[in-house]
Parts: sequence; structure tokens; C-alpha cells
Amino acid sequence: MARVQIDGDTLTVVIEGLDKLWALKSSLSIPLSNVRGATADPGIVMESKGIRAPGTHLPGVITAGTFHVDGERVFWDVQNAAKAIVIQLADERYARLVVQVDDPRATVALIENAITHA
Amino acid sequence: MGRPRGFDETEVVRAAAALFARQAYDGVSVDDLVAHLGVHRNSLYKTFGSKRGLYMAALRWHVDNELLPLVTAVGEAPDLPGAARRALAARDGGSPLDLLLMAAAERAPVDPEVAAQVARALNALEETLANRLPGGSPAPGLAHALTSALLGLRLRARTSPQDAGTAGPEPGAAPSRTATSPSGPDTVPSGTGTASPGFVDAEQAAVVLASYFNSTNTDISR
Repeated sequence: MARVQIDGDTLTVVIEGLDKLWALKSSLSIPLSNVRGATADPGIVMESKGIRAPGTHLPGVITAGTFHVDGERVFWDVQNAAKAIVIQLADERYARLVVQVDDPRATVALIENAITHA
Repeated sequence: MGRPRGFDETEVVRAAAALFARQAYDGVSVDDLVAHLGVHRNSLYKTFGSKRGLYMAALRWHVDNELLPLVTAVGEAPDLPGAARRALAARDGGSPLDLLLMAAAERAPVDPEVAAQVARALNALEETLANRLPGGSPAPGLAHALTSALLGLRLRARTSPQDAGTAGPEPGAAPSRTATSPSGPDTVPSGTGTASPGFVDAEQAAVVLASYFNSTNTDISR
């Protein structure tokens, strides 16, 4: 589970609880100008995740950490697919973040509003 | 930036516009987009950033390439009824107005960028209709009301079952089109599925609205 917040011009993704261990990361900070959009996407967990390095992947249980797919680096922290959102980035270490949030609809609106009114 | 996409971006945007014209924004999942647009999920995110990014691209493309040409055609109609007929013309059960209606009802109230695109299309249609009106100085609000009437007629055409044009009439059964206007001729031979049932109504509505406004000089739009 992740908590997404916006502090000024920065999007912060805080990895909560034990997920910190599985994902080997406790938070990510991204300038809003490098955030291209956010989408609720429960279906993405069915996609091929590529090669894990480093992190944790128990298929059907937890996907957490850094994955490499199609030459891109993707950060995952998802246990419950229904609450997965995709945050697309530009000019960042990660091409996109796929994280589980408490309220996908509200989080997507928060991010989309922040970047279109920035 | 010259990065090879592996797909035709315009084709994807056009297909997305068609999809969003039929289904609610929230009802279209990324799975639907991937399945209908023939583009990989990762490419979709890489190119458009998000579902909203794709939606905005589709809406802008639709206004530029479908709605504004329609407005031009409406403006070139010989008379007001002809303009109404052109505005409401449907092909394969769909009209360029459909995505506009969906956007106006769903996303425009909560997304200023969508609202701006909707306003761009509506203003163009309204301006063109104002120029098509008979008489030098038509009553204020007439073009506004006519635009609203056309959108309303399209909305109703979409909701009437005969607009789907799929269920063929049974031989000898009562005509399936029960909603033809009482005074107008029955324009649509059942079973052809090519003509749109809204034409006669639209032409009459245009004439009635125009005469009403011109005779009373009232402005019901405000």
C-alpha cells in the first residue's frame, strides 16, 4: 500500500508498512513537472512485469520493487489489483510507478488536477 | 521526438474517440482501451501519459477533424432546415455530436480542459447557425436555442430504440417506428436503416424556433 501526496511542486509516494521491506524503498519524490498522468488500472497486474531487480514477486500475492520491461524501469507496490494506479513519469529513474492506494479514484483526481493546473 | 511508436497514433486517437462516444469515461477501462485500440498498455502510457491524456487527445482530434468540418457543412447548407438536417446526419448510427454530448454531460463539469473543448465546438456551431438565420438581425438567443435544440434532438435520437436500426420489422406487424411526428410525413421506410428518424423533426423544430423567435423577439436562453 502506498500513500500519495502533493507537497508544493512535488509528488511524494510513501510506501507504507511492511511493503517497505518487500519493495526495498520507503518513499519516492517526483517533481510534478515530471509527472505525465495517473490512471486507475486494475488490469495491469495481468501484464507481464518483466524482470525483477531488486524486489519481491510472489505471483498473485505481492508485486513490489523494481522491474525491467521493454527497456523501461517500473516501480511496483501492489497486493490488491483492484486498487492499483499507474503514474506515468518523464525524465525520471522510473518510467512509471504502479502502486496500490486506498482510494484510486480520489488519488487519480488529485494527481491529474495537480498537473493540469500547475 | 522521433521515437518509433510501433503504431499509428492518429488511428489510435480516432478509435478512442469512437469508443468514448459510445461509453462513459469512467466505464472505459484501460483493459478496454488495450483491447479496442490494438496498442500495448506500456505504449499507451508512454505516448499519452494516462487515460485522461488519451481522452484529451481524442477529444481535441474529434473537434478539429469531425466537429469543425461538420460545422462548415452546416454553414454551407442552402437553408435553415437543410442546416438542421446536416447537423443531425448520422452514419452507422453515430454522429459527430455524440462525443460532444458525452463530454458535455460527463467530463466538462469536472475538467476545465474538457469544458474548453466543448465550448470551442458549441461556439463554432452557434456562430455558424447565427449566420444561417434568415433576416438581418435575428432575435438574441436564437442561435443559442437552436444549437441546444439540435443537441437535444440528437440526444433523443440516440435514446430511441429505432435509431439502433438492428431489429428488423416483422412482416405484417405494426410499424415499429411509433415516434414519428404527428403532422410530418413518415420519412423512414422501415428496415432500410440508412435515414435518420430525427430529420423531419429537426427541420420542423428549426423552422418553428426561428419563426417563434422572430415573431416574439424574446430571448429564452437567459
